Amino acid sequence: MNLFRSEEHIARWLRGREPGATIPVATLAELAQAWWDDRIAPDWQPHTREQNQTILERLGLTGAFWALP
Amino acid sequence: MNDADLELRRRTYAFFVEHGRAPGAAELGEPEEILAGWHRLHSEHAVVLNPATDELRMLNPFSVVPTAYRVQAGGRWWYGNCAWDAFGICATLHTDGRIETSCPDCGESLAVEVRDGQADDDSLLFHVLVPAAHWWDDIVFT
Repeated sequence: MNLFRSEEHIARWLRGREPGATIPVATLAELAQAWWDDRIAPDWQPHTREQNQTILERLGLTGAFWALP
Repeated sequence: MNDADLELRRRTYAFFVEHGRAPGAAELGEPEEILAGWHRLHSEHAVVLNPATDELRMLNPFSVVPTAYRVQAGGRWWYGNCAWDAFGICATLHTDGRIETSCPDCGESLAVEVRDGQADDDSLLFHVLVPAAHWWDDIVFT
């Protein structure tokens, strides 16, 4: 899960491997906010799969690649 | 996850955030009990242990060991396990920050300022190689 300067850098780094998913850093920032915001809250409870899937879906991260187990 | 394990997790994270390093088991209580609790938390993906040493490896989004993602936030430098976690450190600490890393392809330095949860450089891209269904198959690789 890495940051890159451009698609060209991603393609070169993959060296023939199947690409995964690429999203803008602005979406990543929103994702991180929703995913990690409560991590050290005193009343923290583990997220359910459904909660986490909803976070992904709200940001348009849908489809088989983003389907949690 | 029972209340005792939730409390152990809370104390483990609190120690890490206060001291900037992971606790050893003996720093939190009777070592065998703490290790047993950490193993249960590991199996629930609530902490990540180094299987070779039983030491903490990840307190997501924090990395206990140095990584390519350095984050300055809350007056201290941290390590994130990946780019997602690097942003996650600012989100977890509810603070602005600065992420420093390098392009995995060319090695060029990349730095991002995070202000109010937003990156100051919208041109960067985030690539996820492993599908979500397999993130926890090998979380260190993911």
